[in-house]
Amino acid sequence: MPPRAVKDKVYKCLNPVGNVVPVEVHSLAPRVDKLDGKEIWLSITGEPDVTIALERRLKMDYPNVNWKTKKTYTISPVELSEEEMKTAQGLIQAVCW
Amino acid sequence: MPYLAKLEKRGIPTVIVDFEDQDNMVKEEALVNGVPEIRIIHASRTLPGPVDIENWMADMLGALTKPLTAKERETGTFDPGQPRVLFEGTLDEAEEFYQQTKYIPMPVEAPLAVYSDGFPVVIPTEERVAKMLKGTSHKPDEIIILHHDTPVMEGMGSPTRKKSDRVLFQPLKRTATVEQVAVNAVMAGCKPEHLPVVLAIAESGCGISTTNFPSQAVCVSGPIVKELQMNTGVGHLGPGSTANGPIGRAYQLMAINLGGAIPGVNRMGCHGNPMNNGGMCFAETSDKLPVGWDPLNVESGYDKNESIVMVIQTGGGIVGSQFSPGGYRALQKSGHGGLARRFDVKGMPGPHNWLRYLVPGIFSGREGGIVLMMVPEMAQHLVDVGFKTKDQVYDWLWKQSFEPLKTYRNRSWPDFRRNGWMGIEKTSGKPWKELPDDYMVPSQGDDPFENVVIVAGGQEEAAVEVFGGRGATFSVDAWK
Repeated sequence: MPPRAVKDKVYKCLNPVGNVVPVEVHSLAPRVDKLDGKEIWLSITGEPDVTIALERRLKMDYPNVNWKTKKTYTISPVELSEEEMKTAQGLIQAVCW
Repeated sequence: MPYLAKLEKRGIPTVIVDFEDQDNMVKEEALVNGVPEIRIIHASRTLPGPVDIENWMADMLGALTKPLTAKERETGTFDPGQPRVLFEGTLDEAEEFYQQTKYIPMPVEAPLAVYSDGFPVVIPTEERVAKMLKGTSHKPDEIIILHHDTPVMEGMGSPTRKKSDRVLFQPLKRTATVEQVAVNAVMAGCKPEHLPVVLAIAESGCGISTTNFPSQAVCVSGPIVKELQMNTGVGHLGPGSTANGPIGRAYQLMAINLGGAIPGVNRMGCHGNPMNNGGMCFAETSDKLPVGWDPLNVESGYDKNESIVMVIQTGGGIVGSQFSPGGYRALQKSGHGGLARRFDVKGMPGPHNWLRYLVPGIFSGREGGIVLMMVPEMAQHLVDVGFKTKDQVYDWLWKQSFEPLKTYRNRSWPDFRRNGWMGIEKTSGKPWKELPDDYMVPSQGDDPFENVVIVAGGQEEAAVEVFGGRGATFSVDAWK
């Protein structure tokens, strides 16, 4: 058994947790008032069982929306170019983040 | 997520469709990218797509049109900070503190350790950490940075990492100081002389991969192996070494504490992986390499006197040891037993190319490179049958992995790895979709050098394979 003085000694114990890089928190972008007539991108990232059906339904049920598509099978989306961002009015990311 | 955050900040409304069990991870990613309130819709893991979308398509579209709530409009700064001293008390009290747990809801539904891997840790008192820091010349408050450009896994969304970049520990993209790495090294049971190896591992960012059955392993190469008296002999992958074990454990503690990896929150390996219980660190027996075979540091582009670590992201751990040592000896000594019958060399003494026994079976379960560990005797036999360099082994294995495209397309992962077959097949230079079914493609990937040979282990004639292949390397000497 350690002597009481040793057993009761108080230690400062250090923190193993990493440092969060401070980030500026932003408001979400304002939403559009309606979809008709807007340029909305469908950013497909895998899960074709969902995304093939989704793309078909969106174009069929909402023909007045200017649908555009970026497609990859991986989890890294194909990004809009700077030019495309100038006219994009919304983006659906499916199925991934 | 950085991409979606960029769009929201540019004024383009977005909505994410993902599985409900990924919610915690998506929200944490959104927070560290500055858009914590990003809108998420839940897809089903089980319903067929056309049925599933009926349940949420209206909500998904509404997420682009429904006005923002007050919370979604909030701005500010997320800067939780971290105190240097986490706890003050007796060692008994500290042991309880560092073993505290937190209940993780679905998809875990169990309490998990907050600061440890579940096992008790060495308490990182200020005195112990100061002693640990004597293992490096680097200052305690120095931020961990990269010492050279580091490739990232293709298609996995990681940012390119350049020399002098701050290392962002995954998954929460946190930074760390030399002292914080030392704290984790103390907790893992490391000694001060281990610290440069742990710092080199830290330089990797201690990735954890996700989703399936991922694990991580570290191979040490160079003079440091002998200096630390690492076990490279019998049982080198198992328990017992006070160097291999704690260094491997330090990786996992850094992933938990520096990176913030929590199963079910942002570490989504469905089954977890036993190789991560206590971590996995091993080393090559460079002084028993056959003549002509480069040690791992040299084949990775370093000087033979420079010590390095290779950080390997494995896709499922150790996958096989296919033949009995006795059967192997019978083959090589006198051409008897099952291996000799398979190779049709009955009665013909060796050396024989034992790699033939592994193929094509090792390619059947998973694609890509492998880490092939073998004992020195078996490495020498390969030299004796003509593999004068490791590169020749890599090339031979890769060539054995060729199979008709039709067979390759019937595998699961290539749909993902080949990006839905939208790109170019590298051996032909042609689009995947234009190749005939009988065109032969390598199931091992595009480059023979994805394979890695490690010579280590005892005397029994055994080889084991680890899926995952070649990993990124980091200098240990840079952290001395």
